[in-house]
Amino acid sequence: MSPVIQDSRRRNKAERMRRVGRLATGKFVSAKSVPELLKRIIEPGDILCLEGDNQKQADFLANQLATLGKKDLRDIHLVMSCITLPAHIELFKKGVIRQVDFCYAGPQGQAVAQLLADGKFPLGAIHTYNEIYSRYYVDLTPRVALIAAAQADRQGNLFLAANTEETPAIVEPTAFSDGIVFAQVNEIVDSIPRIDIPADQVDLIVEAPYPMHLTALFTRDPAAITDVQILMAMIALRGIYQEYEVQSLNHGVGFNTAAIELLLPTYGEQLGLKGKICKYWMVNPLPTMIPAIESGWVDGVFSVGGEVGMERYTAARSDIFFTGRDGSFHSNRAMGQLAGHYGVDMFIGATLQIDVNGNSSTVSKTRITGFGGAPNMGCQPMGRRHPTKAWLKAGAESNPGPGSIPGRKLVVQLAETFQSGRVPTFVEELDAQDPGIKKALHGVAPVMIYGDDVTHVVTEEGIANLAACRTIGERRAAIRGVAGYTPVGLKRSMRETRELRSRGIIRLPEDLGVSPSEVSRSLLAAQDIKGLVRWSGGLYDPPAQFVDW
Amino acid sequence: MEKFAKSFSSKPLAWPRGKQWALAGVVGSGNLEVLIERNSKTTDQMECIVESSIPGYKSSWLAALGDFAANYPSGGTKVTIHDQGADPIVVTFRLRQAYDHLIKP
Repeated sequence: MSPVIQDSRRRNKAERMRRVGRLATGKFVSAKSVPELLKRIIEPGDILCLEGDNQKQADFLANQLATLGKKDLRDIHLVMSCITLPAHIELFKKGVIRQVDFCYAGPQGQAVAQLLADGKFPLGAIHTYNEIYSRYYVDLTPRVALIAAAQADRQGNLFLAANTEETPAIVEPTAFSDGIVFAQVNEIVDSIPRIDIPADQVDLIVEAPYPMHLTALFTRDPAAITDVQILMAMIALRGIYQEYEVQSLNHGVGFNTAAIELLLPTYGEQLGLKGKICKYWMVNPLPTMIPAIESGWVDGVFSVGGEVGMERYTAARSDIFFTGRDGSFHSNRAMGQLAGHYGVDMFIGATLQIDVNGNSSTVSKTRITGFGGAPNMGCQPMGRRHPTKAWLKAGAESNPGPGSIPGRKLVVQLAETFQSGRVPTFVEELDAQDPGIKKALHGVAPVMIYGDDVTHVVTEEGIANLAACRTIGERRAAIRGVAGYTPVGLKRSMRETRELRSRGIIRLPEDLGVSPSEVSRSLLAAQDIKGLVRWSGGLYDPPAQFVDW
Repeated sequence: MEKFAKSFSSKPLAWPRGKQWALAGVVGSGNLEVLIERNSKTTDQMECIVESSIPGYKSSWLAALGDFAANYPSGGTKVTIHDQGADPIVVTFRLRQAYDHLIKP
C-alpha cells in the first residue's frame, strides 16, 4: 500500500511560486506582468476567489484575469461574494468557469439572468455572505485569492483602510491552507497606519495603476425622502422602536430607514425617546446617521464596510465608531454580519416584493440579484441565549411552546404598498417562485427573508404584527390588511381586518397616536446633503455626485 | 383624464367649531389635492368627486374611498380630489391628512 500524501497542497504551492520566478521581486510584481503571472499561479480545476462585495472591488486583478484566453484559464471554480463588474461577466462569456458559487449580483443582475437563460452560468449555489465565508473553511477553500488593499509596506503587510470588509474572511482560509494570496494595492509605502493583514499571509503584491473601485452605496440624499416615507418612519418609531424599547439594531440602506434616522433628533426627541432607544447600531457609517450621532443618541456603531466621504468624520468620532489607533475607520463584513445576527434586537429594512405569506425577495424574472447579507440579519438567531427587553416582549407575543426559544428578534419589513410606476409590492406569489428560476437554482426559490422570520410588516397603511398571528390564515389576513389597494390588499375582508385591529395585530396610524397632519419634511433633521455636511461640522466629505453647490 | 362621482354611507362627522373645510396636498405632477368641505345636503353621506389624470383606476379609487368612509366618520362631507398622477400610496395618506386637519380643534 502506498502512503497517502498529506502535504500535497504545500508542495503544489511551492511549485506554483517557483513558476513565478523572476516575475516577482520578493513579493512584489509589476502591473504589466500580471496577466503572465496569473497564468503561472492558476491551475485548471482551481477554486479561485475574487474579492469584491457590493462596495469594494479587486477590479484591477479581475480586469487582468478577464484578458486571459481559454488556453490559459480553464475549468475554474469561481467563488466570490459579489458579481458586480463587467470583467466578471466576461469570464462566463469566455466559458472558462466550470462552477460558480456566490452571494449577490447587484448591478449585474440582468446579465446573470441572461447568462443563466443561455446556459452559460454553471451555478453551484447562491449564498448569504457569512454562509459563503463559512464554506471557504469547508468545501470551497480557495487555491488562489485575488484581493484588494489600500496600501502595502515594504515587508508586504497590508492596510485595508475603511473598507476592510471581507478581506480577512478570504485571506485566512486561503493562507492557512497553502493557497496563494495575491493583493492589488493602491500604493506601496514605507510604513502603513495599521496592519490589517500580516505580510506572512500575503504571497504577491502589485501596485495597481488605478485605485480599487469603491461605491458610495449607502449615501441617501435627504432631499429625496417623501412625505409617505416620513409617515412610515413615524409609524415605525411609535409602533415598534418605542413599543419594544429597541436598544440595538441594524438598519437597511433605503430611504425608509434614512427617514427614521433623520427623525430621531426631532420627532424621536419630542416623544422623549432619547437615551431609551437606538443606542447600538450594526450599520455602515451612513451619512444620514450624522444628526442622531451629533445629538447624542448613539453609543456605538459597528460596520461591515466603509462609506466614501465619512473618513474624517468617523476619525473624529472614535467613541462611536471602531477605528485604528490613528483614527482610521475599521470595518469587518464577517464579524459585522455576526453582530447583526446575534447581537441586536432588531433588523429593519425595505424590500421590493412581499407575498401574502410574508416572504420577500428582490429577484425578478429578468434580474437575479441573490442575497448578500440581509438574510443573516433578517432571520431568527436560533442560537441566541441572552435576553433583552425587546427580545423577550416579541418572544412572549409569539406564544412560544414548551420546546421553543423564549425570545424573538424583531424582523421588520418596511414597504410602501406600491413601488414607483404603480408596481404593487404585495403579490400573491413572488417572481422568485418562477419555475424557471427555481430550476436554475436547483429547486430553491431565492427568498430573501422568510415570512416565518418576519415579526412586523410596516406600510403607509399601518403595522401588521405577524409574530402575534396564531395561524397562517391570520397572518395572511394581517398582511392583506396593510397591503393597501394592491391586488393582495383588495382581497381583504373588512370583518377580518377589524377583528385583527381590535386585537392589536393590525394598527393604523391613529391607533399609534400618529397624526398624518404632522407629517412634514421639516421634521427631517437635515433637508439635504449640505445639511448633513453642516451637522458634521464640515467633517463629512460627500462624493462629487452628491454635491450640487 | 377620468372624472367620476360617488357617494358613500358614513357615520356623521362631529364638526369642530368654526371648521368648514380642510385641504391636503397640492395639484402638481405626481401629487394630488384633497379638499374636504361641509355638505349641508346630507349628514350620513360622503360625496366624492374624483378627477384623475391617469384613467383606468376607478375600482381602486372606489375601494380606497369606501374604506375611508367606513373607517372614519365622514357623513355630511363633500370630498373633491384632483389627481395629477400621484402614486397610489399617496391617496389614503392625503385623505387622512385632510381629515386630521379637519377634526383637530
